[in-house]
Amino acid sequence: MVQPDTNDPVTGPFWLAASEQRLVMSWCERCDCAVWYPKPACPECGGLLHWKTLSGDATLLSWTVVSKTMNPSFNGSYIPALVVPRDAPGTRLVTQLVDCEPAELVCDMPLALRFGMLQPREGDPYMAPLFTPFRLRVGP
Amino acid sequence: MSVSGQSLEQLVRRAGYFDWGSAVPLEDIRGEVAIAGIGETPYSGPSGRNARDLCLEAVAAAIADAGLQPADIDGLMVSKGIADQITPEDFHAHFGTSQPIWFSREGGGMIWAATSAHAAAQALRRGEARHIVNVFAVDWASRRADGRGTPGDWHASEVMKAHFELPFGWYPQPVYFATFARRYMHEFGLTERQLAALPVAFRRHANRHPGAVMREKSLSVEDYLDRAPLADPLRMEDCCLISDGGAAYVYTSVERARDLRQRPVIVEGVGRGIVDGAPYISQQKQITATPQTFAAPWAFAMADANPGELDVIAVYDCFSITALMQIEDMGLCSKGEGGHFIQDGRLDFDRPRSRGGIPCNTHGGLLSHAYVLGIAHVVELVKQLRGEAVNQVENAELAAYAGFTADEGSTLVLRRG
Repeated sequence: MVQPDTNDPVTGPFWLAASEQRLVMSWCERCDCAVWYPKPACPECGGLLHWKTLSGDATLLSWTVVSKTMNPSFNGSYIPALVVPRDAPGTRLVTQLVDCEPAELVCDMPLALRFGMLQPREGDPYMAPLFTPFRLRVGP
Repeated sequence: MSVSGQSLEQLVRRAGYFDWGSAVPLEDIRGEVAIAGIGETPYSGPSGRNARDLCLEAVAAAIADAGLQPADIDGLMVSKGIADQITPEDFHAHFGTSQPIWFSREGGGMIWAATSAHAAAQALRRGEARHIVNVFAVDWASRRADGRGTPGDWHASEVMKAHFELPFGWYPQPVYFATFARRYMHEFGLTERQLAALPVAFRRHANRHPGAVMREKSLSVEDYLDRAPLADPLRMEDCCLISDGGAAYVYTSVERARDLRQRPVIVEGVGRGIVDGAPYISQQKQITATPQTFAAPWAFAMADANPGELDVIAVYDCFSITALMQIEDMGLCSKGEGGHFIQDGRLDFDRPRSRGGIPCNTHGGLLSHAYVLGIAHVVELVKQLRGEAVNQVENAELAAYAGFTADEGSTLVLRRG
């Protein structure tokens, strides 16, 4: 079962924010740094943590293309990745890459946040913070 | 008392400091404990047997190999994290014995296949036991065949993994290490053809090894490259088997071991390392290295040896890439040079140290012998140091095992007694 739980007291706020298309991380205001994964209090100063909205800029640490036979939780192959948020460079977000071909991916490339629905093979779809290669907009 | 009597401060100084993990400060036990007997079950796919049965069979074989009787065993070490291991009550019920048995759940396979030697040395020192058997068995092939679970299931029981990793499909274990392998390829230029050297060498060893699950199936580099990735860049051949089987060994004092039936194999050094932020390897600062980085320097400092003196190694190869990184992290070559280092048959049993080799996983490893989580790796090293291995390495005197759980690593340095 891969379904996130928006009611979990510790991790639910991440998924509630995601449902509103915001990417948040657990943050210590006093130390001004991310505490990831979330803890009951800041491990440095013991201070209270809150959820901070991030910019969504990130770089690609690494990824893999998972075949359907490896993990049948989703219908077909998918690209899970570890990304480094620009606002919290000491942490990694586990996510998926979307709207891209594996051949265009390179470690350390800049990424843009793109919310999208993930549909597990069993269970309901959920809104999730996903990433795509950063592309300069060329417009009229 | 250890033969060299180094203080913890000396070991800390020699082992060094790291900014992304650390060594557990294990007291010097060099030369105090020996492996005096080994025992194994058959290794197989689904056998219909349970892990408890397999444990008892391996224990009986190890006791007999040492030339002891079940009533001589007064210490038992098992894994705390794996279902259906045995207790002293199971031991007594099976063997019809009743002696007091010192019992520890800090034993078994993975990192504990090494660190159990340290805990055993301390129990021997305190006089709590005289003959301690460490045992480990799994029945995962049968469990998987019956739909009773797989090694990936534990992820869902850990709240951060369940809520921040599973929803994105970053599991099971091959997916982690495919991600790490991709980064390693980026940083160090490792190619898929270079990575093939590990599964191909281990398969060659298994093809010659009567107990190996993959004995009948050959594997060439071209065969490997022809396979489709499961989680790219990893193929099925880069991933461990799922097996039924188990093994055990008997620890006793070196002095006592010299009176027993087999040539003793002496524990020279033990190390244990852990990454900062454990158990979440998604947050590990260096994903192109393993906690072997912290464990090996400690074990070699205790053994007063260096990796270049090793004649044979057994490396926890849940994946080809984890074996490659641990070979580097043990200090056999520089970080990033592993892909080049393992070429040209350097890991083959018949390329000894005198010809620039470092024979590795001479039984076939987790990739091709059996997935019994490292316990058979240590048994294989004992056979090598006794001079009775199937794929015997010429003049094998010094050996090391690299144990792994992902967030923790361990090192066991063994010498022919």
